[in-house]
Amino acid sequence: MPRSLTQQWLNWGMGLSLAGLVVGCSQIEIPLISSSLNSGNSDEQPALSGNGRFLAFVSNRQGGRRILLYDLQQRRSIELPGLNRPGAIVEHPSLSYTGRYIVYTADDRGRPIVALYDRAIQRSQPLTLSYRGQVRNPNISPDGRYIVFESGNRGQWDIEIIDRGLNIELDKEEGERERGGAEAST
Amino acid sequence: MKFILLSAIATLGLSACTANLSFQQLPFDAGDGTINSPSADMEPQMADRYIVFSSDRRRRQDIYLYDVVERRLIDLPGLNAQDALANHPSISQDGRYIVFATIRQGRSGISLYDRQTRQLRNLTSNLQAQVRNPTISADGNIIAFESSVNGQWDILVYDRSGRPLDVPTDPR
Repeated sequence: MPRSLTQQWLNWGMGLSLAGLVVGCSQIEIPLISSSLNSGNSDEQPALSGNGRFLAFVSNRQGGRRILLYDLQQRRSIELPGLNRPGAIVEHPSLSYTGRYIVYTADDRGRPIVALYDRAIQRSQPLTLSYRGQVRNPNISPDGRYIVFESGNRGQWDIEIIDRGLNIELDKEEGERERGGAEAST
Repeated sequence: MKFILLSAIATLGLSACTANLSFQQLPFDAGDGTINSPSADMEPQMADRYIVFSSDRRRRQDIYLYDVVERRLIDLPGLNAQDALANHPSISQDGRYIVFATIRQGRSGISLYDRQTRQLRNLTSNLQAQVRNPTISADGNIIAFESSVNGQWDILVYDRSGRPLDVPTDPR
C-alpha cells in the first residue's frame, strides 16, 4: 500500500529535524527508523537471534556503514543507542538467543577488535583490546557466554573461544533465566 | 607514593575482575582430526555444544562440525560434495540443521542439511541471483541470507521449509 505523499514528507521532516537535534550533541547518532527490512543501499551480513525474532545486519543506508537491528515480529527497526559511532567501521554482527547481546568487529585505530553490545544497558564493551594477533568473524553463542572467532596468531586462521565467565547474565527465553552456565571442556 | 601505587594495583585488579574474560585455545592437530589444522579454519559459529566452521584442510573448502563437550569432529555424511565449494555454515542449537552456502560451476546456492535424515536441500534453486552469507536461528526455524536479485545485496528471510517470510523487504 503506497502511503500518501504528505505522510511521507511528514516522516522525512520528522526524521530530518530529529537528525538536526542529534547533530547538535557531541555524539552523532542518526535515527534509522524504518518499517522495511531492506533499503535502496546494500544490506549485508544477516544474523538471527536464537529465537528467530530479531535480525541484525550491516547497512550502507544514509551514507554510513552501521549495524542495524530489525524486529521480524513487529516489523520495525530497533534503535541501538551507543553502538554505531561516527567514523568507526563495524562489521559481522551476531546475536544471542533473545537478541540481548550483539557481538561484532569494530576498528580500534585501524585494528579490528571484537566488541560486545548489551541492549539491556545500551553499552558496548571491547573484548579483545589486549589480545595479540588479528581477529575476525566473531560469533556469540545463543546463551551469550561464549564467543568463537578467527585468530591469526599462528600465521593462519584458527578458531578460538572467549569465555565471558560465570558472572554474566545468560540470555535465555523468559522463565529459563539463570546465572552462569555449564562449563565447556575445551 | 606508595598509596598511589597500591590503589593503582587495586584498580587494575578490580577491572580484571569485572572483565573476567578468558581466552581458550581450541585443540590443534597437524593432521585433520580436530577443529584447528595447519590449513585455514574459518567462519566459526557456535550453538550449545556445537561449533560449525569451514576449512580448506583437504585442499578444498568444506564444512566441518566440532563437538566442544566430546572434543571431536562429527561426521556430516553427504553434506560436502566433490564438485562444490562450501562456506559460511550456521547450525541450530539442537545440532540438527546446518545451512551453508555453495558455489557450484560458478552458481551460488544456499543449502539446508538435516543431520537426522542426512538429507540435503537447495533452498534457492528458483532464485535467479547470487546468494551468500546464510544463517539459521538457534531454534532452527528461521533462515536469512543475502541475495543480489535487486542489483545490490538485500536480505531475504525464509522459514525452514524454504518459504519466504512475510516481511516488508522492498526498498522505499
